[in-house]
Amino acid sequence: MNIRAPKDFWSGIMFIAFAAVAILTARGYSLGSAGRMGPGYFPMLLGGALGVLGLILVARSLVIQGETIGRLLLLPLLVIALGVCLFGLAIERLGLLIAVIIATGVTAFASRDSRPLEVAALALVLAIFSVAVFVLALRLPLPLWPAI
Amino acid sequence: MSVLSDLALGFGVALTLQNIAYCFAGVLLGTLVGVLPGIGPVTTVAMLLPISFTLPPVSALILLAGIYYGAQYGGSTTAILVNIPGEASSVVTTIDGHQMALQGRAGPALGIAAIGSFFAGCAATLAIALAAPPLAAIALQFGPAEYFSLMVCGLIAAVVLARGSVVKAVGMVILGLLLGLAGTDVNSGIRRFDFGFQGLADGIEFVALSMAIYGIAEVAHNLEQKSESTVVTSTIGRVWPTAADIRYCLPAILRGTTLGSLLGVLPGGGALIAAFGAYTLEKRVAKPPRSFGHGDIRGVAAPESANNAGAQTSFIPMLTLGLPSNPTMAMMIGAMMIHGIAPGPRVMTDRPDLFWGVVASMWIGNLMLVVLNLPLVGIWVRFLRIPYRLLFPSIIVFCCIGTYTINSNVFDVFVMAFFAIFGYLCLKLDCEPAPLILGFVLGPMMEENLRRALLISRGDLSVFVSEPISLAFLIAAALLLIVVAAPAIRSTREEALRE
Repeated sequence: MNIRAPKDFWSGIMFIAFAAVAILTARGYSLGSAGRMGPGYFPMLLGGALGVLGLILVARSLVIQGETIGRLLLLPLLVIALGVCLFGLAIERLGLLIAVIIATGVTAFASRDSRPLEVAALALVLAIFSVAVFVLALRLPLPLWPAI
Repeated sequence: MSVLSDLALGFGVALTLQNIAYCFAGVLLGTLVGVLPGIGPVTTVAMLLPISFTLPPVSALILLAGIYYGAQYGGSTTAILVNIPGEASSVVTTIDGHQMALQGRAGPALGIAAIGSFFAGCAATLAIALAAPPLAAIALQFGPAEYFSLMVCGLIAAVVLARGSVVKAVGMVILGLLLGLAGTDVNSGIRRFDFGFQGLADGIEFVALSMAIYGIAEVAHNLEQKSESTVVTSTIGRVWPTAADIRYCLPAILRGTTLGSLLGVLPGGGALIAAFGAYTLEKRVAKPPRSFGHGDIRGVAAPESANNAGAQTSFIPMLTLGLPSNPTMAMMIGAMMIHGIAPGPRVMTDRPDLFWGVVASMWIGNLMLVVLNLPLVGIWVRFLRIPYRLLFPSIIVFCCIGTYTINSNVFDVFVMAFFAIFGYLCLKLDCEPAPLILGFVLGPMMEENLRRALLISRGDLSVFVSEPISLAFLIAAALLLIVVAAPAIRSTREEALRE
């Protein structure tokens, strides 16, 4: 069997995967009945429907010709995700100033056009701007300095 | 004339110094993100949600609303001058608008875009003031069965208006509904889909999800595009169109406004569909039609009026039914819930100051936008010179700060990173994120209404077809699905939605 519509095929697989997680997890919740819906009723219903749609997509992708998936550039995406996670790890321990500098420094390298000096300047500007706007002007509850 | 006294109340609220300032900040920011390609109103509203947390609810909504319709103005500026649509809803404006700029008529193109938008904004504000009270009165009669069917109808409409495969769009809606169910179930107290994470006890944070998809995944997607330097093609010259231009455009503005107002109300509608629809209509009915595509000023006037009208009337279902017609409206509902206001028909009776204040601020905001855009257009164009390599780390940093401050919870930041990867894969697979976001917002409400409807009917499913209003919504939903599946209409839909 050939996959004729890769975009549809993988969308279908994604839906089936989410449906499987939903149904397997929702098995742990009581279903109840239509008149007295338990916490598992609606998730089970949705999970089933999503699974059926996924199967339709997969079946159709084996028959009807469709679009191929464009080039996946995972590296920039992962660099950005790493930057976001580092921000999450840093914000409460090291404070806003350092977290912003780390996040900017890491994510900037998701683009090949970035230049080191420029990134350093940008990181500094963003850090000062964030502190001025979010902490000083808007008084949002953000830790500013490293926690000791 | 109770509408007049209500509007007077609204202007009383909107014209306080504080609210004028927030309205101004909103339209200013909106124009800025409208000008900058690669950052849209959804991301901006998401980034500003944590700030709006510290404001009174009326000011918060005035600020956020200003961003949405302000972005429609800004988007046209870049569309005309550099052939880059700053917003998706300005795509059609590039066709004739940029041609006009090449012919040295950039000024009148910008002018008519602003005048058309202003006219449409005023008309749409009036439409909201007139249409919302009766709609809310009807909605107050709705029981759970009607609400459930209404949501089904709304979600189906969102699917029909999404680009690409209907099956995928329905799947995204259902996936959104499922994601919306995570967290503590209000009825049983059971934590659903928390996978052992304490951070998911209150469910997936809406801001984290929407910023992941509209902020971060977008950035990753944009980085793949070849970076090109933007060149402003021509001098702008005289901005005010001649009297002849205005007379020539008046029918186009009127048609664009009317169609845009109607399309904006539809679930899944809003500015984008309105602009496409208006341009297509104008090409069919305007005479002579030959000049479209070669710098016809009506090709700017109609879609620019329509997208502004649509942006504003999409507030009608949000304010009266609590139903978001597009992701920005979903964000508004999120903002209202942060302030403890349940969106729905009761807002107008319980908080008339909020409702009418926001409506009145739209009119004031539109006036500000004309002043901001016409004389200052040169300044806005300069922002285009900011290279994307400096812009995108800033977007990501603001998304991080925004998500963290919503609950002061680091876990939300990790959730955002996770859904950023998910959102990127969806973009690659042509799975539209808008239906997912709408489903996410409606998930808990839909379950609650389904549960209540079936509790009242003792589990009898026929309650959804025996109530006439509920039946009407379901028939409408079925008709929409049939219509979109029909091959003839399908091809025109694809043509209309093609970018």
